[in-house]
Amino acid sequence: MSRKIALSAVAVATLLSLAACGGADDEDSSGGTVTLRYALWDEVQKPPIEQSIREFEKAHPAIKVQIELNNWNDYWSKLQTQLAGRSAPDVFWDHVSYFPKFSKEGVLTDLAPLIAQDKVDTSIYDSKLAEGWKVDGKVYGLPKDWDTIGLFYSTKALKDAGLTPADLDGLTWNPDDGGTFVKTLQKLTVDENGKHPDEAGFDPKKVKQYGLAMQAPTGQQDWWNFALQNGCALQDKPWGRWTVDQPACVQAIQFVQDLRLKYHVAVPATVTNPPNGPSLDQVVGRGEAATAMDGSWMLRAFDTALPNGGFGVADLPAGPAGKGSVYNGLTEAVYAGTKHPKEAWELLKWLTSERHQKAVAQAGAVWPGITSLNDVFADAWKAKGVDVTGFKKAAEGTTMGYPLTEAADVYNVKALDIFNQVWLGQLSPQDAAQKITTEANAAIK
Amino acid sequence: MIDNIPYDRPVPGHRRAERRLAARVRTVAEAYALLAPSLAGFLLFLVAPIFGVAALSLFDWNLMGAPSFVGLDNYRELAADPEVWRAVLNTIYYVVLNIPAQTVLALLLALALNRRMRGGKALRVVFVLPWMAMPVALGIIWSWVFDPRYGVVNQVLGMVGIDGPNWLTDPAWAMPVIASVNVWQYTGYTMLILLAGLQAIPHTLYEAAAIDGTTPVQRFFTITLPLLRPSLFFVLVTNTIGSFQIFDTVFVMTQGGPGGATDVLNFHIYQQGFQLFRSGYASALAMVLFALILLVTAAQFLYFRKRTVYDFS
Repeated sequence: MSRKIALSAVAVATLLSLAACGGADDEDSSGGTVTLRYALWDEVQKPPIEQSIREFEKAHPAIKVQIELNNWNDYWSKLQTQLAGRSAPDVFWDHVSYFPKFSKEGVLTDLAPLIAQDKVDTSIYDSKLAEGWKVDGKVYGLPKDWDTIGLFYSTKALKDAGLTPADLDGLTWNPDDGGTFVKTLQKLTVDENGKHPDEAGFDPKKVKQYGLAMQAPTGQQDWWNFALQNGCALQDKPWGRWTVDQPACVQAIQFVQDLRLKYHVAVPATVTNPPNGPSLDQVVGRGEAATAMDGSWMLRAFDTALPNGGFGVADLPAGPAGKGSVYNGLTEAVYAGTKHPKEAWELLKWLTSERHQKAVAQAGAVWPGITSLNDVFADAWKAKGVDVTGFKKAAEGTTMGYPLTEAADVYNVKALDIFNQVWLGQLSPQDAAQKITTEANAAIK
Repeated sequence: MIDNIPYDRPVPGHRRAERRLAARVRTVAEAYALLAPSLAGFLLFLVAPIFGVAALSLFDWNLMGAPSFVGLDNYRELAADPEVWRAVLNTIYYVVLNIPAQTVLALLLALALNRRMRGGKALRVVFVLPWMAMPVALGIIWSWVFDPRYGVVNQVLGMVGIDGPNWLTDPAWAMPVIASVNVWQYTGYTMLILLAGLQAIPHTLYEAAAIDGTTPVQRFFTITLPLLRPSLFFVLVTNTIGSFQIFDTVFVMTQGGPGGATDVLNFHIYQQGFQLFRSGYASALAMVLFALILLVTAAQFLYFRKRTVYDFS
């Protein structure tokens, strides 16, 4: 049956490649040039990266780079299947949530000897980023970028509601009545008759524009931020057990559900639930929401959806425990099983070089891993009339890193399923919190 | 090849038996030789993996480290796993949405095309086209068609004043959409088999019945349907098996979401095996799916055995 083919093909391919243990011939190496595979998951960042890599290829005529792009959901299952099949890409983006597993399984190249040999200056990187990737003197990746979460807004929607960007400063929320954050979002939410959610006769089934859009497969762009602002810790300690079932965390989850189902100020989950919902730049771009909580890596996407000063970025609101944002960074890593370690190291050096990161920052793709280039990124956006320094302030303020855990797979897969249900109103925040805590903790050995 | 057995001439008794045996051996050997390529494929790619999966279901293995034997633990775990039961129910829901609609639609189409008409042959090809297309590519195209903002479906609905739902992100609609895509894709194939079945029914029966003064409806229920049973049996069994194995449309269109609304067994197996890397547990789930299909197929066999006529002479 043809329906079975996709699945069995994956299974057979895996088994075959397992049996062959990377026996596939590399035809390219025989001709004198080496083809490196470079895997990433963000389409928005790809164009400037690709452009810079063309320069790398010019400087290294014997190396060709093939970019393998898969979206976040497919990326990890594909990469891990390839790792199991000993056919992973030579260089790939690594994420802190998979780092523990990968370093334990020995699939990442220790860069420390190479750094020493080529006298690479690692002090240029943000130390907060670089330190997270060192284990027992081994270095498993060099910083690619960093990101925080901000409140993207449509300038037109703000104007239409009679608000100015300054009105989004200093907003606060609380679990009881939603605070000034909800009040402002109510002003930005209108139904087809022009009524707001706090007015009599407001029809929550016929909303023309919502105040806020949220979407996050893991929680990074939505409830983790509220959790941090409410004094919730997702884990008892790094590498420790999950503590999402604590009251402060449940309240944060409840708040995100309330924004949709109680206050009617956030786009319903039937629209935005990942992985099928449209990305938030589109939701705001077509006027269905006035603002969106999203990561700094989405700037280019918002600029495409709302060009020529059509959008701006404000700080996230403050909660009962103050301000705060999730802070994260990626690294470029070299596969330990690469057949071209020398060439892969050359590529990695390029990707983490000032020249490459400057080019990517100038294109406004991501905040660079090299500290001195932060201004390049900020200036690139300033030239377009967008003030992005809020992300940097957020990074310097109270932040929460991605949870460090061996249970990343389980957490990611279950969270997508469980929180989809919470946002739809099919599961209570309390039950969801208990479920994700139990399931993720069960996966920790 | 059976027909090629040399005709036995009258020869003394024992020699005749000898020759007959030799001929049979030759025939059988010939048959196996001809079967060998497909048999090898069948054993290597279908039978061996079944045993492989059955064995793997007794282990805990993340694909990277060494597998460890856990006995029946995986089965105990899945029996108590609410998500497995959800996946079983989702799968059954899909089969129930898919099979009746597909079979009735295909039967109606086959009846309509089973007459001489202009462009009949071209229509047959058109109806079978979706079946020949790649399910993954189709899934992507249907995702566009059902896009709530830019999709054709909601634009057409909008023209008549209906505010179309968010087809793939609304848990109430996701599964019906998946099922309808597959109905659309496989109806042509089912129609083709039923059409062949219809054409095998002797005309004389209809003529005799017409002379006896029966109505077309009577003829359908007393002649067409009973004599179509072998074909119906075939499409019902194979399509039901195929439906229980639904994967690609779900993988491309919904990834089991929203909130698990389309998390069918095969997708759940994929998720456990290739997202969570629990290949032992995924194998145990695959055995459950295998048992489920075996059960349903056996039930279908029992139901049709007594009611099916193969010989029209």
